[in-house]
Amino acid sequence: MKRTHIIAIAIVAVAVGILISASKDVTTYANFDQAMVSGDRVKLVGQLVKDQPVEYNPEKDPNYLAFYLRDNAGEVKRVILRAGKPQDFERSEQIVLTGQMNGETFEAADMLLKCPSKYKDQEIYVRSEKG
Amino acid sequence: MEYIGEHLLPGQLGHFFIVLSFVSALLAGGAYFVATQRRAQTDMEYWRNLGRFGFLLHGLSTLAVIGTLFYILVRKYYEYQYAWSNVSDDLPFQYTFSAFWKEQQGSFLLWSFWHVVLGLVLILRAGKWESPVMAILALVEVFIGSMILGLYFGDFRLGANPFDLLRDTMDAPIFARADYLSQITGNGLNPLLQNYWMTIHPPTLFLGFASTVVPFAYAVAGLWLRDHKDWLKPALTWSLFSGAILGTGILMGGAWAYEALSFGGYWAWDPVENTSLVPWITLVAGIHTNLIARSTGYSIRSTYGFYLITFILILYSTYLTRSGILGDTSAHAFTEMGLGFQLVLFILVFLVLGAWLWFSRWRSIPDLEKEEAGASREFWMFIGALVLFFSAVLITGATSLPVWNKLVQLVNPDYVGAALKDPVEHHNRYQLWIAVFIGLLSGVGQWLRYKEQNERVWARTFIRHMAIAAVAAVALSALNATWLNIHAWQYYALLFTAMFTISANVDYIITFIKGNLKQASSAFSHIGFGILVLGILGTGLNKEWISTNVFAMDGLIEGMGNDDLNKNILLLKQAPMPMRGGFEATYLNDTIVRQTRTFSVAFKKMDAAGASRGESFVLEPNVMYDRQFTKVVASNPSTKHYLTHDIFTHVSSLPKAELDQEFARQQEDSLRFETYEAAVGDTIFTKKHYLVLEGYTKQPVHPEYTPQKGDLAFGLRLRAYGLDDTVGYAADPMLYIRPMEGGFTLPAQVGQLQMRVRLSESSMTQLMAMEEDLNFTNFPMKEGESVLFNGFEVRFSKANRTVDHPSYLPEPQDIALAADLEITAPDGRKATASPVYLIRENQTFSLKDEAESLGLHFRLEQIDPKTGTLTISMAQAPEAQRRIPLEVAENAPRSDYIVLEAIVFPGINLVWAGSLIMLFGLALGMWRRLVRKTS
Repeated sequence: MKRTHIIAIAIVAVAVGILISASKDVTTYANFDQAMVSGDRVKLVGQLVKDQPVEYNPEKDPNYLAFYLRDNAGEVKRVILRAGKPQDFERSEQIVLTGQMNGETFEAADMLLKCPSKYKDQEIYVRSEKG
Repeated sequence: MEYIGEHLLPGQLGHFFIVLSFVSALLAGGAYFVATQRRAQTDMEYWRNLGRFGFLLHGLSTLAVIGTLFYILVRKYYEYQYAWSNVSDDLPFQYTFSAFWKEQQGSFLLWSFWHVVLGLVLILRAGKWESPVMAILALVEVFIGSMILGLYFGDFRLGANPFDLLRDTMDAPIFARADYLSQITGNGLNPLLQNYWMTIHPPTLFLGFASTVVPFAYAVAGLWLRDHKDWLKPALTWSLFSGAILGTGILMGGAWAYEALSFGGYWAWDPVENTSLVPWITLVAGIHTNLIARSTGYSIRSTYGFYLITFILILYSTYLTRSGILGDTSAHAFTEMGLGFQLVLFILVFLVLGAWLWFSRWRSIPDLEKEEAGASREFWMFIGALVLFFSAVLITGATSLPVWNKLVQLVNPDYVGAALKDPVEHHNRYQLWIAVFIGLLSGVGQWLRYKEQNERVWARTFIRHMAIAAVAAVALSALNATWLNIHAWQYYALLFTAMFTISANVDYIITFIKGNLKQASSAFSHIGFGILVLGILGTGLNKEWISTNVFAMDGLIEGMGNDDLNKNILLLKQAPMPMRGGFEATYLNDTIVRQTRTFSVAFKKMDAAGASRGESFVLEPNVMYDRQFTKVVASNPSTKHYLTHDIFTHVSSLPKAELDQEFARQQEDSLRFETYEAAVGDTIFTKKHYLVLEGYTKQPVHPEYTPQKGDLAFGLRLRAYGLDDTVGYAADPMLYIRPMEGGFTLPAQVGQLQMRVRLSESSMTQLMAMEEDLNFTNFPMKEGESVLFNGFEVRFSKANRTVDHPSYLPEPQDIALAADLEITAPDGRKATASPVYLIRENQTFSLKDEAESLGLHFRLEQIDPKTGTLTISMAQAPEAQRRIPLEVAENAPRSDYIVLEAIVFPGINLVWAGSLIMLFGLALGMWRRLVRKTS
């Protein structure tokens, strides 16, 4: 057997090992119910519930944001994120969270906003309205 | 309907050139293909010349498309969707480029442009490789050209035409009007993209992308012609070029994210970043096996493989970023055009072509029977290339989870999909070991020799230099460990191997090539890699959020548990705030220019006793509002650079009233304002406070007010006190009337007292009345004379040719004269005024001036040059009108604060320097091969 073959086998072995060990880095997309059942860290996609209050009071704590999110199954739960409120938060069309349930609230460690309107404004600006 | 004012010709021309460019790429590809297949010299030349003609035609028509699209953007022809959605009347010219390649079509054109440039160089320089290489390049151009074709086959649309008309792409009632064009204006460019990075990053990155096709094309050509050796030489030069440029493009992306976006770092393992890094890694692996193949004849197969896969990965990255599939996993937003199918086809065609050639020619590719010696350079370099490839596989695998999800969902629609819990942690954990191996190999490999025959003789030198490198690395590691916050043994391993490659390669430059820097390209790249790793360790391990409230850490504020997450701090205006790291930050003030609002934040380094240590600086992060000034759309950081570290800040949040005009209006409406009246010098007592009206001015200053010619402005100077307080706070509300636009009142906020003061609407009408109802009386006066006007003594002290008047901007041909007046009131108060008489282009103007404190207005009406008599007209504002109505609200929510994120990045310059040295090494290697080739 040539040395390169041995190395190739070794690399494949390491690759399989990494694949197995990395499987714990992977999580599934879930809704609130599934997150509650699993208790693990999950990815959760949903929309901001706009008629519920968004709680961000930087005078009290600039690192505490709480809001209500409707998941893709339609369920609404309170979400807490220990970070500042992003500028275009209210305009987001979709929110992707990473975190886990803690009782009845979802504690998010990371949040990603999708605001396509920022890039594609479908309004036509009429000249007379300008200024 | 016949629409008025549309320019349809450029669009028709543009689309014609798109089709021509596509057809001529087909022609070039076909002709070059036949030229490659023909053996007979004259026959071959005929087809090759036809290919050249096709490619030149393709290049010219591509340039024509680019020129036409650019013309539409510059002329702001909003009848075209591309212009309407990317530029606006007020967009500065230099951002037209950013607008051009913001959308997919523009970036495809940019990519195509570089292919054309590279193609021309290849026609001139590729020699016998021209036909096969250009056939591949032309085929790639056919695919890219198809992305912007915009042709319909039934319901299927092939490509997105950048010259689509707005009225064809959108349904809006306004298109029912023939003159709709005069009614609309462009959307303009997202403020986030209005910076120079967006001007320089895409062209560099796309040149990097485009250049990877050349090694690919050479590899295909080598396999195609079964000429497995000759292609290696030109391919190496081109790969070094490509590696340097693509690397620079990626680095610029990181610098952009760090410098101008509020990402808080230069690398986040975001899918978009990963997919441009991975082809670079495989390209570097290819460069190494290419070097082996050139020197020894080993590794030709893997060189083919690496160059083929690099270009496939570029196509794959194009698919990932342009198909919208990364939606849930990437912070980057890209426009999506529904080209997914075409992009998949693009990948598959080249994947199948490359794979088929590679496997079908496998047996004919020469490989040496004898195995590489275990102590030879080619063996360990090959291992290094495999490690790099392994790194690429790992990153691609994790980044491809969204693709995997989509594939499984095709079979099983109920599949919910998988995602990485924490991509940064995941990638760092595995790539750390890749970097450890690369660090070791790039140090060891340098001291090994190709085709080692006499291992024993060489072994002593080798061991000696390895020992030197190891000892130096231990010393350097120990030194660096003093400043790095290393908390796990893996980082010591990484630190050691980074120092090892630096030591071994510096030693190599000094003792082996004896300082001949021309031969040091590989050593430079490896040293750069080591420095880069050190910088990554510094920024990664020592990165510190200083925007943490130090009181909160003492548990004084409830609800703050995990201090790692406390990354933001609230700064009240003018109130110094101690932060972590011995800093004290003070939010000084804010100013607005155009749509940008800039905040000045002063930082001072304090010692333990609370005294300033002398180090202080002001940072100016800003936010940008949208064009209607209703919402904040971007937050731009500001960074203080030191040699050893950076201090990075950005405004992460603002009071809601400052973010959202609609909310501010509601809040303003919900405040209870009480109306008071006061004359200058009066004191007003409100429920909880008292205010003193100190004066008023016609040239008010207010953060939200930018004076314009023709404005009629009026502002108060008030000082507000708490009832049992002696410290007063300035409160300067103002209002202004702007011709054609109307009147605006700008309130003043006293955050400390939660008080809001504004001039009421009635003071606006009063301001108008004050100007209109004045009764002027004329007085002919000479220099030095005095008159008595309504009890005021007015002395004309001097006719002044040096005119300084707030509403006067001097022009060269002006004749201007000011009458300096000194006024004494009956009660002894004094004031001055200087009305101006101006002759400009045979027209005369009289610029009014006033003695505000006395309520007197003056004009200089006439000049009699013969007698030297000036006619000065005077008026007094009626006493009663100088009681000014103003409105005061208490319990106004504070809006005088910012929420700031501030991060210290130690060693960030090592990241930049290391990367640049590494890329310089690649560029030097290319240059050396070019020079050697020509000389």
